[in-house]
Amino acid sequence: MRYIFNFPDIGEGLDEGTIVEWYVAKGQQIKSGDSLVKMETDKVVADIPSPKSGTITAIYGKVGETIHVGNALVEIEIEGVSGAAAVEEAKVTEAVKEEGAGVVGTLEIAGNNAYMPASDEGTSETKEESQKSTKKVLATPVARAMAKELGVNIDLVKGTGPAARVMKEDILLYLQKNTVTSSKSNTVVSDEERVELKPLSQLRRTIARNMIQSKHNAAHMTVFDEVEVSELVRVREKYKSKFLEKQVKLSYLPFVLKATALALKKFKALNAQMDLDNNQMIYKNYYNIGIAVDTEDGLIVPVIKDVDKLSIFQIAQKINEISEKTRKREITMEDMKDGTFTITSFGSIGGQFAVPVINYPQAAILGIGRILKKPVVKDDAVVPGTIMPLSLSVDHRIVDGGETARFVNQIMEYLSDPVSLIMD
Amino acid sequence: MQYDIVIIGSGPAGYVTAIRAGQLGLKTAIIEKDKIGGMCLNWGCIPSKSIIESAKFYQKIKKDANSFGVTGIDTKAIGFDWKQTIKRTDGIVRKLGAGINFLFKKNGVELINGTAKIVAEHSILVDNRLIEAKNIIIATGSRQEKVNNSTLDDITVNIWDLFKDRELPENIVVFGQNTVAVELAQFFNLIEKKVTLLVPDSKIMPLADVYVSDYMKNLLQKSGIKIIFDVDADLAQYKYKEGALVSGEINIPCDLFVNSKMRKGIIPESDIALKTENGFITTDEHFTTNFPSIFAIGDVNGKSMYAHIASAEGLHVINHIKGVSETIDIKKFPMNMYTVPEVAQIGLTEAEIKDNGIEYKVSEFSLFSNGKAIIEGENLGFVRMLSDKKYGEVLGVQIVASNATDMIAEAAAFMQVESTIYDVAKTVHAHPTISEVFMEAGLEAVEKEL
Repeated sequence: MRYIFNFPDIGEGLDEGTIVEWYVAKGQQIKSGDSLVKMETDKVVADIPSPKSGTITAIYGKVGETIHVGNALVEIEIEGVSGAAAVEEAKVTEAVKEEGAGVVGTLEIAGNNAYMPASDEGTSETKEESQKSTKKVLATPVARAMAKELGVNIDLVKGTGPAARVMKEDILLYLQKNTVTSSKSNTVVSDEERVELKPLSQLRRTIARNMIQSKHNAAHMTVFDEVEVSELVRVREKYKSKFLEKQVKLSYLPFVLKATALALKKFKALNAQMDLDNNQMIYKNYYNIGIAVDTEDGLIVPVIKDVDKLSIFQIAQKINEISEKTRKREITMEDMKDGTFTITSFGSIGGQFAVPVINYPQAAILGIGRILKKPVVKDDAVVPGTIMPLSLSVDHRIVDGGETARFVNQIMEYLSDPVSLIMD
Repeated sequence: MQYDIVIIGSGPAGYVTAIRAGQLGLKTAIIEKDKIGGMCLNWGCIPSKSIIESAKFYQKIKKDANSFGVTGIDTKAIGFDWKQTIKRTDGIVRKLGAGINFLFKKNGVELINGTAKIVAEHSILVDNRLIEAKNIIIATGSRQEKVNNSTLDDITVNIWDLFKDRELPENIVVFGQNTVAVELAQFFNLIEKKVTLLVPDSKIMPLADVYVSDYMKNLLQKSGIKIIFDVDADLAQYKYKEGALVSGEINIPCDLFVNSKMRKGIIPESDIALKTENGFITTDEHFTTNFPSIFAIGDVNGKSMYAHIASAEGLHVINHIKGVSETIDIKKFPMNMYTVPEVAQIGLTEAEIKDNGIEYKVSEFSLFSNGKAIIEGENLGFVRMLSDKKYGEVLGVQIVASNATDMIAEAAAFMQVESTIYDVAKTVHAHPTISEVFMEAGLEAVEKEL
């Protein structure tokens, strides 16, 4: 039986990707889980694994070509499944669910119900599904010409003609429904000199969607505090050059990460997620901390895993790796998934306090402001101090005020006395 | 409820709908006060086409037998037998009527003879019998309006009275602008009567593209039919006097006056107020009347006067009742005119395209040098294709050809799938056929663009 594997929705809300490299060729035997192709989206490079074992009978697209989500990538001949069994199997959606991938999201292998059984064309239900996901949707010549000219992805248009054929009216209707942006741009076109029009990048769309999702769902509450970090400055200065000898740059961030991970272990609500669908809380016993990274195209959040188990040096090393990958645009899905908490270090650019938006569905996000010299009172005397401003946003549905304050206190304790980071 | 669906009228709107409803397992009854098959089968499409076929056959033998190499025919001796023509026609009508009756039985449709009166939203009275139904479908058709000129009464024959054993006199006047009027005028002309066509309009065939109706007007005039345009709807200025219609200087010899005036809906008697407009029942895009349980399909809703469109409307209503949502575009259905040569048209006319502000092009290919047409001795006509400039979509097709009414099916298929001139040009047609001109018209459209 032939199985058509379509380019899955890899979570970012991105609807297309470019083929970077094929790992398989026609005729090749593959096992479920083997990497098929390396795809690059706006910001992510991801290996796409095969959901099935079998023989590759066709591959679609050359290196450099853009493939839309839902369009065919490969066809796999699966032995021993045919007819009605194939239809049955076709109905099973095998969703590889992984938590918190990317900016925010879920990795899901979609569209793998696009079986084309050798016999038994299948129930009408299955047929309809496969029509949607096979390479060519049913459409009239005029509808195709129209879609091409107007830049409509005909695969996304719901057909109302016989056998769900896409008619020209459907294209017009689709455009009407999706013209919020285009009608706006039309009205502004005459004003070309005053504004510049640029289509939304997929990453920007994703960020927009995730931010709104967060603001809609989480009850944001933010606490600000300042921690005196003279000791931390001293420690960092001391080890900076030593780390550099090993080609690793040491910033304050590894300390903050480590402090956070250790504090999370003590305040588990901050490392949790609310699962309303199942009426339960999910407390995570792993501490994967995402770092918001500013890029030209927009914000991405690579994740450093098991921070609690890493030394400051290892964390610094990971951070260096991430910035290198970001520079080379080599961040992969693997690098962005499974975060349980997020740190945004805006202070490296500027600003002391902020109200960070939670990386939903995580419970909290910690913002680090610019470290400044400020007068502090020590033993009743005003002395120069080094202050790190902290802004912690929590989802007040999950975390109460007291716990929030205690969590901040704990982090401050670690940061003001960095030796304590290795004492627990 | 006694019935899911009760249909009033068993013409092509009603019987197709009833059979479909029966097939879908709906408990269905159909009420008919006269003959099964309605106007189309008994007094319209079928008999008129049948007599035209006889007339064409007569002319073919008379004109072409010798040149085609058929010997033994004394062209002076051959004649046209109206009585036999009617006999053959009756046989055809009976056969088709029996077929409908068979399909009613096969699909569990109950036939109720009698005159229906709507008494409530779900109730109909047929000769004292109360019938209740979830849905009522009115498919009562239409008929010619009377010409209000009493001097004509004695010599007037309406279409439903025409197909009878009667004397066909020498001088015949046909009144009307519609296709039926043109078809009948031509029929009488083919059997060598002296024919005058009185047209209460400035052109014949009002729904046809002006290009087509002009072409046919010239053809009719050339064949000897006298056409007088812009007469008034009741011929007030004419008087019938001693074998002629007289109006001032004008004197039209007339022994028989055939009325094919514009038609009006036959609106069934009703105790509830059905909304009407210009003599037709008002319906929405799903042919629903002002009562949600009552529908009106076919001629009676005034949207179209074609049997196949009436049937399509009926099927749409059944789907609608069954909850299948779809749209119906009667412009995508062919309009056939059984003239000689035949005329068929689908889609938008040139005037409609202009009104819509669509940029278009016209490609036309004549039958004049088409091999098959020449072989058959019928090379009058053309295929004319109107397409939009932007995508090349085929917007309208008009055909004048001896078998245009069959050829239009190809255009209907093209339009059903929103084809472009490129598809038409790329569709290989067998040779020799008359349909080849289709591809030629397609190629011409494509070339025009290059």
